[in-house]
Amino acid sequence: MYIHPLDHGARPGWRVLAPLALLLASACYQGGATLDADDTTGATASDAGDAGGSSDADATGDDDDDDDDAEPPPAFKPGVPVMPRLTRAQYLSSIEALLGPELPAPPTEPDTNPYLFYNIGAASTTLSELGAQQYEEAADQLSAAVFADAARREALVGCAPASPTDECVAGFLAAFGRRVYRRPLTEVEQQRWLGFADELAAGDAWQGLRYVVAGMLQSPYFLYRVERGEPDPVDPSRRRYTSWEMASRVSFLLWNQGPDDELLDAAASGALLTDEGLRAQAERMLADERARAAVQGFFAQYLDLARLDGVTRDPERYPLYTPALIEAMRTELELLVDDFVHRRDADIRGIFSTRHTFVNDELAALYEVEAEGASPVTFVPAELPEDGVRAGLLTLGAFLTMNAHETYNSPTARGKYVRERVLCEVIPAPPADVDLDLDPEDAGEGTLRDKLEAHRENPVCASCHQYIDPPGFLFEHFDPIGAYRTLDNGLPIDASGALDGTELADARALAELLKSDERVGECIATQLYRHASGRREVLSEKPGLDAIHEGFAESGFRFNALLITLITSEAFRTVADEEVLP
Amino acid sequence: MSHDTKQRGRLSRRRVLRGAAMGGAVALGLPLLEAMLPRRSALAEAAASEPIFGVFFWANGLPWHAAHGEMQAQGGYPDLWTPAQTGLGFTPSELMTPLAAHPFSVITGLEPHTDVPDEPPGQSDGHMRGFMVTMTGDRIRPDGFDHPSHTLTALRPTLDQYVANHDAFYADLPRFRSLVLGVSPARFHDYGHWNAISYNGPDSLNPPLMNPVQLHSLLFDVPDDLVAVGRRARLLDAVMDDANSLRAELGSVDRQRLEAHLEHMAEIQRRLELSSGTCDLAPPVPADTGDLLLKTEIMAELLAVALQCGLTRVFSFMLTSPATTHVFQNLGVVNDMHAVCHAGEWNQIKSVSEYQLQAFGRFLDKLAASVDPMGDSVLDRAVIFGTSEYGEGWQHSVKETPVVLAGRGGALLPGVHAREPGGNISKAHVTMLRAVGLTTPTFGWNGGETSEQFDALLGG
Repeated sequence: MYIHPLDHGARPGWRVLAPLALLLASACYQGGATLDADDTTGATASDAGDAGGSSDADATGDDDDDDDDAEPPPAFKPGVPVMPRLTRAQYLSSIEALLGPELPAPPTEPDTNPYLFYNIGAASTTLSELGAQQYEEAADQLSAAVFADAARREALVGCAPASPTDECVAGFLAAFGRRVYRRPLTEVEQQRWLGFADELAAGDAWQGLRYVVAGMLQSPYFLYRVERGEPDPVDPSRRRYTSWEMASRVSFLLWNQGPDDELLDAAASGALLTDEGLRAQAERMLADERARAAVQGFFAQYLDLARLDGVTRDPERYPLYTPALIEAMRTELELLVDDFVHRRDADIRGIFSTRHTFVNDELAALYEVEAEGASPVTFVPAELPEDGVRAGLLTLGAFLTMNAHETYNSPTARGKYVRERVLCEVIPAPPADVDLDLDPEDAGEGTLRDKLEAHRENPVCASCHQYIDPPGFLFEHFDPIGAYRTLDNGLPIDASGALDGTELADARALAELLKSDERVGECIATQLYRHASGRREVLSEKPGLDAIHEGFAESGFRFNALLITLITSEAFRTVADEEVLP
Repeated sequence: MSHDTKQRGRLSRRRVLRGAAMGGAVALGLPLLEAMLPRRSALAEAAASEPIFGVFFWANGLPWHAAHGEMQAQGGYPDLWTPAQTGLGFTPSELMTPLAAHPFSVITGLEPHTDVPDEPPGQSDGHMRGFMVTMTGDRIRPDGFDHPSHTLTALRPTLDQYVANHDAFYADLPRFRSLVLGVSPARFHDYGHWNAISYNGPDSLNPPLMNPVQLHSLLFDVPDDLVAVGRRARLLDAVMDDANSLRAELGSVDRQRLEAHLEHMAEIQRRLELSSGTCDLAPPVPADTGDLLLKTEIMAELLAVALQCGLTRVFSFMLTSPATTHVFQNLGVVNDMHAVCHAGEWNQIKSVSEYQLQAFGRFLDKLAASVDPMGDSVLDRAVIFGTSEYGEGWQHSVKETPVVLAGRGGALLPGVHAREPGGNISKAHVTMLRAVGLTTPTFGWNGGETSEQFDALLGG
């Protein structure tokens, strides 16, 4: 059991948490688990599918239970390489960048999101046989579609081949191959594909090209991100990512697809091995429309918005509910993120306290705010009243709805979200033999809060729930679709609560508190790092993450600055030397 | 019980072939049989004498039952699952009613016997431990297990893949080693991996195909331009050359992932080169639907044709995923199933369980209705392991895990109820594996090993 892999005596909040964490460890689990930095490190590395992660354990020390900060900070050591397969979104957007728009979107292996992120699932899972077959069929269908269209194939190839191995073919293979493999083809690869272009042409050079395109799109160098690094000239104990690999890393982070020709040219010049070169390219790419979509993708995963998928409510019970309302909640958060990141480039932590949001007519009704010009499909800016009940993401529809049951609230799920998603802490699950019989639908008297008091009266429950429920109760004024209510089961609502011992009157008070809680910004940066690297961090990377946190803070917590800080950081540019089997 | 538990009156071809192999029944020789089966391909012909193995999985177990005898003694909730009698000719229980038209046996009282390591904590979670032991015979992989984020994986293949990749199961490889199908897309959102029940091994899931149109295409859309198909197969040589050079660059874990991918490519190449082994019984392309019963029937019908044609002999069929959040609104159950289990809504769990077993019944209907010219149905040739992740959902108890063995394939004897309270679930695994002809000296790992079988279910 652990609270946070990096929370080892480094920040003040830890002193408050440590006794509680130990209590949880002993009370929630019979096994008598203790905090153990070595175990944590080992588990973290292996979870992401890495080999040899335990070799980092020696850097972690063992003093995490003490308040002793006297030891010098350990040196940064990078994590081991991972090899993520392209996520479905990355595959489709890369295909579009390579072959052009308006092609069919063939079925592919579904993504998984351990620890919230598709990139982590893509780095740790093995492709199924059906998934491999789908790649084969997709490549065949896509290349057939492109080459069946004379205008399209000429636009792609850029010349008209006269014979299956002429200069046009060879030149196209080199240029297209560089885009697909995200590095120049080796001579062996170039000759191999040229040979297949010839063999499969059967006299028709276009046909030879069509098959070679289908083949390249199935290559593991396309389907996986192969980033193993090269010897680091400044530190022989580790490796640095090559210029080509940096192009890939930057491009998948900022555009969620492979690099374009300009970025590959920068890689060829070696520019991506320098701060200035990386910064220049990152700034160019951030200004592009594709960055907006990629940033939205990160936020949707960090905020766990996939949990809105398939949410339904009974319209009899919740007259404001429609399926479109749920989609509007998602759109609202997208607009909010876009506003903070792209339109205003503002302190991103503000999403948890802002009174400025975007509503369509359904959301305006839900929030009971004025929204002139709003319609089912038109979202307009809206101000949440200064003396009102709402401020920040945690009072908006998406959070309130996806953390409730169909007919009753879940202060536990809402409190858990505050702990895990907003503050990046880890809540242990209940022991398997705990009596979970709590039936809010029963005709019994009292509010849900009254019934949940059992969590506090029973010491076994209380050991965890005293940590989760107090922030969760703050949202009791909002029902399972996020509408404001004053009664629960006919009784007045008490929405007071607490966070880490600070008594709070309601959700607005929490929003105020979060403005100055340093865990919020650290959490965003840490989650972005996990997303960007396709694995959870290991403890030996802590100094690298600290540097990213500092850069983020110095920028005033602007998300664009965080992206550039991360891209130019030591942690993002170096990798441990992993043993390659003979 | 309503289904025939005695010797079947008619002579099945399987029995004829078996008799012929043993030196008897030579009067009914093969030429006559072949003449009676004009539509079969050679592969289907060979497959028809071989048993089919499948898994039918539903989520969240059953309403609470015998393991909670104390509560029942207090006039609480009756056990709707365990039949009153044991042995041959038992009367199916109330919840088994939808299965009663078909041959099936049932084993009750079983539970996982695997050890539960203390670290990392949470490995006794009923969903996780129950699912893994029921489906693999082994515990969750402790390495990398993380209960708070519900991150878990298997140590070894699930039964469908264990059988499909067993050296002794396929004499001639059919078009597909196995089919992995599913119906409800609802999943427990915190489980990053949990929208599937079929594993090849650690972190290697087979996500179920849930779209009937895609399944139809997979099974029946074999391109008729054999030259083009040959080029696609040849092209895979180039791709595999690429993969082999990458292989040399990798550390152990990523190398294993890539090697699995390489094996898949070889398998796809084999399939592309396979000029036979296709099916001319293709039904019309179905429509997708959100109705679980209807979709079960549509998927089962396609599966039945595939089995009839010999396109495969192994499948898994996930009606609902572990800890499903499926909302059975059609039954008046307004909260998701997992939450309803936790809330202890007995009547709602009862109706959801009835419905899920009704789906199992409809599934068996389709397999029973797919009959070959000799009068043998797909179900007659099958051993189908019907199960869930644990015994009951309220307390996530892994005691009394449901075990149905449907069909009369291989050596399986239908119509038997065997009961062994506290018994090792891997004893059921041994039984079903031996039923389909796999020798299986032992099955089960990490405390779950056993060489025992349920004798009463084997003999056919």
